[in-house]
Amino acid sequence: MPCRPSLDPSGTKPGEDDAAAGTVRKARFMVPVDGRPGCSGLIRATCRMAEARGAAWIGVHLDGPRPLISSRAEERRLSDNLLLTEELGADLIRLSPRTRNEARELLTLARTHQVTHLVLGRVESNWRTRLAGSVLEDLSRGDLELIIHVVPTQPSAAPPAPAPVRPEALDLGNLGIAIGFVALATGVGFLVFHYLGLADVIMLYMLCITAAATQFGRWPTLIASVLSILALDFCFIEPRYTFVLTDIQHIGTFAMMLGVGWVILGLAERIRAQTRLAQNQERHTRTLYRLGKVLAEGGSVAAIQQRVVPFLRQELDLPVALLLCDAKGRLPVPVGPGLRLEAEELEVARAVMERGVPVGHGTECFTQSPCLMLPMPGTERPLGVLGLWFTPGAGAMPASRLDLLIPLASQIALALERASLAEDRTEARIQAEHEQLRSTLLSSISHDLRTPLGTITGATTTLLNPGPQSAPGDPKVLLGTILQESRRLLRMVNNLLDITRLESGLVQAKKEWAAIEEVVGSALSHLEEQLGARPVSVELPEIWVPMDPVLMEQALINLLDNAIKFSPPGSAIEVRGWVEGDRFRLSVADEGPGLPPGEEELIFEKLYRGTGRPVTPGAGLGLAICKGIAQAHGGTITARTRPQGGAQIVIALPMDGISPELNPDFNP
Amino acid sequence: MPPEQPLVLIVEDDSHLRQYLTTTLRSHGFDVAEATTWEEGKRLALGLTPDVMLLDLGLPDGDGLSLARELRAVSRIPIIVVSARGREEDKVLALDMGADDYITKPFGSSELLARIRVALRHAADLSAPAPMVVEVGSLRMDFASREVSLEQKPVRLTRNEFDLLAVLIRHAGQVITNGQLLQEVWGDSAKAHATYVRVYMRSLRKKLEADPTRPRLLLTELGIGYRLKPDLD
Repeated sequence: MPCRPSLDPSGTKPGEDDAAAGTVRKARFMVPVDGRPGCSGLIRATCRMAEARGAAWIGVHLDGPRPLISSRAEERRLSDNLLLTEELGADLIRLSPRTRNEARELLTLARTHQVTHLVLGRVESNWRTRLAGSVLEDLSRGDLELIIHVVPTQPSAAPPAPAPVRPEALDLGNLGIAIGFVALATGVGFLVFHYLGLADVIMLYMLCITAAATQFGRWPTLIASVLSILALDFCFIEPRYTFVLTDIQHIGTFAMMLGVGWVILGLAERIRAQTRLAQNQERHTRTLYRLGKVLAEGGSVAAIQQRVVPFLRQELDLPVALLLCDAKGRLPVPVGPGLRLEAEELEVARAVMERGVPVGHGTECFTQSPCLMLPMPGTERPLGVLGLWFTPGAGAMPASRLDLLIPLASQIALALERASLAEDRTEARIQAEHEQLRSTLLSSISHDLRTPLGTITGATTTLLNPGPQSAPGDPKVLLGTILQESRRLLRMVNNLLDITRLESGLVQAKKEWAAIEEVVGSALSHLEEQLGARPVSVELPEIWVPMDPVLMEQALINLLDNAIKFSPPGSAIEVRGWVEGDRFRLSVADEGPGLPPGEEELIFEKLYRGTGRPVTPGAGLGLAICKGIAQAHGGTITARTRPQGGAQIVIALPMDGISPELNPDFNP
Repeated sequence: MPPEQPLVLIVEDDSHLRQYLTTTLRSHGFDVAEATTWEEGKRLALGLTPDVMLLDLGLPDGDGLSLARELRAVSRIPIIVVSARGREEDKVLALDMGADDYITKPFGSSELLARIRVALRHAADLSAPAPMVVEVGSLRMDFASREVSLEQKPVRLTRNEFDLLAVLIRHAGQVITNGQLLQEVWGDSAKAHATYVRVYMRSLRKKLEADPTRPRLLLTELGIGYRLKPDLD
């Protein structure tokens, strides 16, 4: 952008400014930001000057009502300029001025913010400056020590032409009502003309012009004024029923009517503009507040994304997408239902990531694109892009919209960052717990495996080198020990393999219609030796149950093994099966001490060993395996102490979930 | 060494297990030949014509399953598969491919010897004409009159039940897979399913077992098939 260095009326050369100020005050630049053409050049020039001196700079926008004659192009430029100021690293101050004297406001601000340099644009002389005097003149009358740079500004050539701004639409309805007012005034005028006189009729017309001005805006007011004058002239001013004017005094009346209309219109427009501004700001505040509430619900990144996108879609009435960066800060090509990015849109998104500024619809870059992408800056790296899709041909986005969208995107970015940090923390905690469990498992396993191995090694060495006084029966005792310990070792290794396979999800229950007595029978025959002479009562219904018989046999073996371990030798064990609702329940109960209260759930946890029980060998995996097997079947496992004493563990299996072709009810 | 001692071929790559098998079998009056690889196993099986073969499924240079299939195509040597736990599918596959039985590691010597004896007896039965009356313990089956009795009391069986029991009793002591039972009883034509076998097994047990959950005759090998308990000892 073309912009020459300052044309400095104080005569100091650049670089000597601080010396000229002659103080220890740090240089600080200030530039007023508005929507005038060329202001962006001013902002850039200020930035360069401040950077050259290593000084801070602030942009000031006096956020008053827009001047009477303000176009949408100007509003748009204003919004761009405000954005530019922030992007270039300035502090942006927006405030509503207390007075209409711009110079005084600027001076007050300069004082409170300890500004040393003020940058102004050279204003081209026009009727407004001639009438009101330029800000520069006002400033020079101020008493502050201030270096004022006047930068020649030219309307910038670079920004592409914004989307065509439609002129203020002529509301035909309002126009009709305004004309109706005039007709009504004329009618009433006819009624009262004879009794009151011309002055009162003029007042009637003034009333209707005032009404039009306050209610309807520029065009209806203008037309109402002209029509009033014509009607007044035609109907009431002598010679009546002609447009001929004989009395020159009436021209003054007409001018007054126009003038009053114009002044009131100006006032009304200003009020309307202020109202619009206030309404806009209120809407923005409300939207941000509601977004805040949506974000405050917290949750994971995905959950926030899921809530925010529909919220924005509803609030903005536009298609919206949140594109999130991956861990490496790259924007992945999004895949998902209803989200298809065109090549151009991807390019826009990447441009946003590179520059960190909004790109697309209504900005300086990719203006013609229907989508607008806003950066979502994080504290360490960009989090992603917020994309909005505008209906093509719907015209330009109001500049105030961008003012809302940018903080919206930042707020979402903040929430996402918070959630992502929380997720990282949770993951780290789970990892730590996993590590903890693994180390517990390892120490437990190494203990439980080494103990029987130690016994076996010891017994074997004794057998190989018997002592001089060994009894003749010793070898048999030692061999029995070796056999027992080997079996214990085998059970433990099997359990470890089982739990590993169950946890890795490699095991899937291959359900078939199983004869439950076969499964129970097979489990009992496996434990024949451990059961010895224990009475085992079995009570099973003659039904077919969908299950994986091999897995269920393992579960049963573990349950029976548990019952044997935790009940006195020779006491009875009860195996019972029954159907309850849509579940088949299989229970194994013993006559031991039962479960300590509160441990009914804990016993199914891996490595959990009962507190109130005698220490028994085993890696604490048996019941965890049972739980895994029950879950693999879509079933549950529960434990309790029976009222009559002894622990009871019940596996409940769903009776469904098997294809009908396996139905055993067939005709032989 | 007297020639009437049966020869057992051990195809196993683990030297310790091989040593245990050799020692145990020699002490129980068997001759033993050892092979450590697939190739050696095949060569010895065809060259020595052993009476029984113990085949490990996990060999370093090949799959034990394929060796069983190749041998079965050319020879009637009884093959007992030695396999690790949790490989039910492998066992069924090996049995359906022609292996006669299986044994799961780790196993005790009495279990091993029982399996070998069953296999030997079964091989001997094959060379003789099928007897018309078979007795296992107190169970007696007369194939000519299709009559069954248990402890001298007649038991009424349906045709399918009789056929099922017949297959099991002719292979007493050997495991028969569900697939083999289906094939033997229902044949190719029936659109049979493994559930059929379980249904008839349940009714057979009701007629032959005092307590179906503690069967003394019709044993279940879960995930594989059934075995009729032999009266060896």
